[in-house]
Amino acid sequence: MEESDSEKKMEKENLGPRMDPPIGEPEGSLGWVLPNTAMKKKVLLMGKSGSGKTSMRSIIFANYIARDTRRLGATIDVEHSHVRFLGNLVLNLWDCGGQDTFMENYFTSQRDNIFRNVEVLIYVFDVESRELEKDMHYYQSCLEAILQNSPDAKIFCLLHKMDLVQEDQRDLIFKEREEDLRRLSRPLECSCFRTSIWDETLYKAWSSIVYQLIPNVQQLEMNLRNFAEIIEADEVLLFERATFLVISHYQCKEQRDAHRFEKISNIIKQFKLSCSKLAASFQSMEVRNSNFAAFIDIFTSNTYVMVVMSDPSIRFSLEEEFKFLSQLLGVLLSQTAKMPPETLGKKRHSAAVDPWE
Amino acid sequence: MANMDSDSRHLLIPEGDHEVNPGPMNIQFDSSDIRSKRPFYIEPTNIVNVNDVIQRVSDHASAMNKRIHYYSRLTAPADRALIAPDHVVPAPEECYVYSPLGSAYKLQCYTEGYGKNTSLVTIFMIWNTMLGTSILSIPWGIKQAGFTTGMCVIMLMGLLTLYCCYRVVKSRSMISSVDTTTWEYPDVCRYYFGSFGQWSSLLFSLVSLIGAMIVYWVLMSNFLFNTGKFIFNFIHHINDTDTIPSTNDSDPVICPSARSSGHPDNSSMIFYASDSELQQFEKWWNKSKTVPFYLIGLLLPLLNFKSPSFFSKFNILGTVSVLYLIFLVTWKAIRLGFHLEFHWFTPTEFFVPEIRFQFPQLTGVLTLAFFIHNCIITLLKNNKNQENNVRDLSIAYMLVTLTYLYIGVLVFASFPSPPLSKDCIEQNFLDNFPSSDILSFIARIFLLFQMMTVYPLLGYLARVQLLGHVFGDVYPRYSGAACGLAFVFIYPSLIYIISLYQEERLTWPKLILHVFIIILGLANLIVQFFM
Repeated sequence: MEESDSEKKMEKENLGPRMDPPIGEPEGSLGWVLPNTAMKKKVLLMGKSGSGKTSMRSIIFANYIARDTRRLGATIDVEHSHVRFLGNLVLNLWDCGGQDTFMENYFTSQRDNIFRNVEVLIYVFDVESRELEKDMHYYQSCLEAILQNSPDAKIFCLLHKMDLVQEDQRDLIFKEREEDLRRLSRPLECSCFRTSIWDETLYKAWSSIVYQLIPNVQQLEMNLRNFAEIIEADEVLLFERATFLVISHYQCKEQRDAHRFEKISNIIKQFKLSCSKLAASFQSMEVRNSNFAAFIDIFTSNTYVMVVMSDPSIRFSLEEEFKFLSQLLGVLLSQTAKMPPETLGKKRHSAAVDPWE
Repeated sequence: MANMDSDSRHLLIPEGDHEVNPGPMNIQFDSSDIRSKRPFYIEPTNIVNVNDVIQRVSDHASAMNKRIHYYSRLTAPADRALIAPDHVVPAPEECYVYSPLGSAYKLQCYTEGYGKNTSLVTIFMIWNTMLGTSILSIPWGIKQAGFTTGMCVIMLMGLLTLYCCYRVVKSRSMISSVDTTTWEYPDVCRYYFGSFGQWSSLLFSLVSLIGAMIVYWVLMSNFLFNTGKFIFNFIHHINDTDTIPSTNDSDPVICPSARSSGHPDNSSMIFYASDSELQQFEKWWNKSKTVPFYLIGLLLPLLNFKSPSFFSKFNILGTVSVLYLIFLVTWKAIRLGFHLEFHWFTPTEFFVPEIRFQFPQLTGVLTLAFFIHNCIITLLKNNKNQENNVRDLSIAYMLVTLTYLYIGVLVFASFPSPPLSKDCIEQNFLDNFPSSDILSFIARIFLLFQMMTVYPLLGYLARVQLLGHVFGDVYPRYSGAACGLAFVFIYPSLIYIISLYQEERLTWPKLILHVFIIILGLANLIVQFFM
């Protein structure tokens, strides 16, 4: 019996994306034995098959795209999912309204499990879709499930692939759809964004989502400002660790490049991909030239901080200089029930799994 | 969060030069699989020019660049999942070589239509391309037409072909509905005449090609024969001009076609019964029977070169040959002096009348001599100042006419008429010099090398000598007139008439004039076969 258990375990380790029952079910219908993961909250990324969810996930979380076009449903093995988000949030990706009847049945039968403990629902609409009615129908059924199982969840709707629409029509189409979705979503509140992977809108949308998920974010910003003023930095940014989405920032003067957040995010993620090929992991970075000095370092177990200074002669180590403020920030961040207490600095080889793997 | 929607859509913002050193300019790109080379795949052209003002890449563009770089790392190289689609990548004209420091350099593209050639270079290129082997036949043509008639015909033909060439150049501008920037003349013909136009213009090009190859082969055999004979005679110290009528001074001129027997014998006249070595040589080195085949052995390795563009480096030989011919002709004229007598209608023993009815043979030669209509569009495309195209074309034609006139008149006038008749002028005027003449020997060598480098570029015909026997005297009259008919006369005029008709601007004078040109072209072709 033990042997077969360990065999099963090995199977679980080695296989790639495959089906697994969702979190919260101690013994699923397929007979697996799972540890109790009821504490973990979920981020559901849902949408029609082919609406761009896998690409989106890959881009935001810097995962290699698995070219498995015959996805049977859950492309994330939730048990072994390495995509952690803001501490304890786990990303689940589901095709909603796929043609596969088997999956439809499974989806319907597992509905309650899928929609339990949901923190965030991100629903992706393909703007080019010809079956608007059907899309809305599936969206509504998801909302019903949310209402039943996780009524406190935040709802976000992404109108994706906007680059395929002509530029002058984009605002119009987006406004129309947004109105429809708002109307349909009542009594729940939903926020809508229009996105495309080929411009900055995707990054902005996800940054807005993350921003809304951070509690006391205004306080955080105030503290960042104080901190920046004390050390006379040009700009201080706080990034979410897995995705390098900007949680908060402070700048003391106008910066020229409005796209700099996304660029930094893309550069670091690309660097992380290279590092992972060597089985190394990214810890910190220091960039300096005659005009400026920039530092990126781990701040808390779920965030990175980036400090940009005009005075290139400054050399410091983040940890020593900012102890006081770091402590304060850490306390603030952990003041919510939804996040575990932040551990500071280098102690990142703790329970949290490295999100870059 | 800053509002990023309002940023500029322009790619570049000109700025002062903050960069210190632009760095190396020599960038090579290979052309396989365009889309996988994004971001900002650059067409594989040489970097010819760098703007003085170093542009700064806009934030939007550099963000896009970074995005595409990052996405390409997320998939396997063979996977096409996140390749940037066409509508998000800037158009080729907006592509720049982007330095991570933020500056960018624009590449100059040849195909844009705005080349880098100054007017002088363009004129020279047209002149160089037009001057070909026809130059050797001009004196003969003048002889056939008569001196005065010859000169008039040369100038008139020059004007006529220039006008038709102008029509070819302007033909694209009459088409407003389609983008014609990459079109050559056969494309214009296809637009007006459908596929018939395309195929017929292709056919005519082929005819001129085959004709040119025949001519080249004949000339090369000729030159090779004479060169071999010169070397043999030089080694064995033989002087063999005795039985051929020639002048008796230090610059001999011979009259190879003045023989009692009908068909000109293309080998040396010397017959020494006792000299078997010479006999052997003549047996193995015969102008029409053996040398053309030796030419195969000489040319075959050249034709096996992988890239014929290697030979285009020898283009300069063509110019050198022409200049040398001009020098040669001038020198001979100085040495021989002028021998001109004007008899208007009656031939004399030594002179030809000024007006002869064989002048169409001259027009036949000139049609090919002034032929550049199939590539004039491409040549003028690289002109820096496009508005000067017509002016440059006219100047080039004028220079070509002058060159032909110069050589033709000088050879004709200096041909030593008292001992020899003007009728002796050969279709290839170098044949009028004995193979022992050093200057013409050098000319033959030059032309031989030049033609050997051009031949592989033309492609080749295997059994051209057979066709030479079929055609007899295969000089450029036929092929020149045939393709000249289509390209030089009929198509430009017809297309002009049609386009005017479409725009309802056709007037009677224009119609009559162009129909007249077409008739001239037809007559030119038909009359060749009667001469």
